[in-house]
Amino acid sequence: MTAPLVEFESVVKRFGNFVAVEHLDLAIHKGEFVAIMGPSGCGKTTTLRMLAGLEQPSEGEIRLSGKRMNEVKPSERDTPLVWQTLALFPFLNVVKNVEFGLKMRGLDATARTAKAMEWLERLEIAEFSQRDISQLSGGQRQRVALARALVTEPEILLLDEPLSALDAHLVIRMQGVLTRLQRELGITFVYVTHSQSEAFAMADRVVIMSNGLVEQIGEPREIYREPVSRFVAEFVGRNNIVEGAVSHLSRGKVALTSDIGTLVASKPAKLQAAQGDRLSFVVSADVMSVSDAKPRSENVVQCELISEEFIGSVVTLFLEAGPGVELKAQIQQRDIEKIDTSPGAKLYLSWPSSNVHILPQPQKR
Amino acid sequence: MSDDTASALAKPATTATKREPWSAYALTWRVPLLIWQFLFFVVPLCFLIYLSFWLVKNYRMIPGFDVVNWVKMYSKGYFWDAYYLTFAMAALATVVTTIVAFPCAYALSFKVSETTRRWAVFFLIIPFFTSYLVRIYAWQVIIAENGVINGLLSYIGLGPFIMLNTKFGTLIGYMALCMPLVVILQTFSMANVDRNLIEAAHNLGCGRLRTVFTVIVPLAKVGLIIGAVFCFILSFGDFVSPYYLGGSRPPTLSILIIDTTKSGQQWPKSAVVAVTMIATLLVVAFAAVATAYRKPK
Repeated sequence: MTAPLVEFESVVKRFGNFVAVEHLDLAIHKGEFVAIMGPSGCGKTTTLRMLAGLEQPSEGEIRLSGKRMNEVKPSERDTPLVWQTLALFPFLNVVKNVEFGLKMRGLDATARTAKAMEWLERLEIAEFSQRDISQLSGGQRQRVALARALVTEPEILLLDEPLSALDAHLVIRMQGVLTRLQRELGITFVYVTHSQSEAFAMADRVVIMSNGLVEQIGEPREIYREPVSRFVAEFVGRNNIVEGAVSHLSRGKVALTSDIGTLVASKPAKLQAAQGDRLSFVVSADVMSVSDAKPRSENVVQCELISEEFIGSVVTLFLEAGPGVELKAQIQQRDIEKIDTSPGAKLYLSWPSSNVHILPQPQKR
Repeated sequence: MSDDTASALAKPATTATKREPWSAYALTWRVPLLIWQFLFFVVPLCFLIYLSFWLVKNYRMIPGFDVVNWVKMYSKGYFWDAYYLTFAMAALATVVTTIVAFPCAYALSFKVSETTRRWAVFFLIIPFFTSYLVRIYAWQVIIAENGVINGLLSYIGLGPFIMLNTKFGTLIGYMALCMPLVVILQTFSMANVDRNLIEAAHNLGCGRLRTVFTVIVPLAKVGLIIGAVFCFILSFGDFVSPYYLGGSRPPTLSILIIDTTKSGQQWPKSAVVAVTMIATLLVVAFAAVATAYRKPK
């Protein structure tokens, strides 16, 4: 295993009394696509800015290719950033914007124009090279920003919510552009976002942050199916979290007494719990089955339908299983016609015990 | 080609807002401006131009239409000497003021807190509380041969330097007149510069000092040029500084107007000088504003 490209070691960042990043240990390898995700104010952008040198860590060390970067000026690093606002220079046209980084490196005019045009062609915007920035659409500006950042052929590209200002259909297309670029160039992408769909669609690994701390680092599937904390389970996806006390333990199964009845889950080998311990079960909304008649299943809960939400072919049902206990179920549009969906309808939710994820008991920090 | 690029091709420019220039509402807002501009700009200017064609006989003005004043004034060497002197002094004051004001405005825009900036702008307004004439008298005391500056310099064995009644004195007066305004205009234009763009420049390998000239100056261009234009206009037309600090010799155009008027009711000839000055300022101001708003090539 080669040394990581980027290392954060016990990094702390304070702004006055506010702790933006509390304690960060993170290693990013060459060629990886890492997404840092979390709600606003969680420290994800500060982390990215520290990597670019736009903020100085208050404690700890940041290393790039094994070299300590804390004191290196932003202009002396090769860590181009794609801004949320894109930060294109309005007084320069498209090709001059892309050339900017090369000009700062002292490349002569012909060489840098040729290089900039190469990147504009690669991003399919060469025909706009002489345009003003104000004459471009959102998607085109995005491509200019990418070309400007990549023109110096860096080892790492930092992206700060670059797609947040785009229309939904453009976001999907730009995701394709970004993943393709990353594969082709083989460089490291560090992508900050609050959007789960962006992070999960593109990243090899996802870092979930909350209040300046890393909650979980893992592959998208791992984070989605096996959240390590209640925060991650709530932040990611449409998860149902049910808390209760262990009522029965047997080989392979755990039974939990909760507000909505007794629920059963497969017992992971490493789970250490005794009767009476409080545990949280996580059931993703997309593994729920919904039916009018009571089904035969290990976990069945009778609910009342409150509302439904359509997103394309998937429908999310919001149901009340008991006083104040809301459950969510995601089902295909074509399946919904089989059941009664009038508000207040009595429906049965069921799910197999093998699809229940048990949250690890909270650790003392 | 992607559809977003296609739609931009079809509609390259920004969408123009639809206006109805002759609606009653729009007119109501515009009428006061039109009346004001007509009464206090167009009418006096027309009269001034008309006046430049009048004649003076036996110290009395006779309305008429004769180009004799223009011919006489434009054929005089002293008129052109005064013109070049005024233009050169105003231009020099503009360049020096802009350069001296810039570091101050830069510091106020980027290196101090919001509160400090507000106080600084307030203190920059304070000079306007005092009459310009009074401030110029104060400068007489400061730069006189036995004044404050020469007094201080004598302690270290320098001087005395003759500053009063020289072109240097005029320059000091112009700068005292314009400096606070130029600093304020520059500060406002630079404080509005998007910090992301400055960070983006650093991020792309542009050092701090280089960023000032490659990013901040182009972004603040409009404000910087407007500041310079104000400085030029104020200096070009000022008569107090060249009179009280510059010793009025050789005369600038404004002093030429005073001299001409005093010598035998030569209002029409003064009007020739005044019209020439207004024409010059219009050309300079239009050229500067056109430069300020010119699209990047």
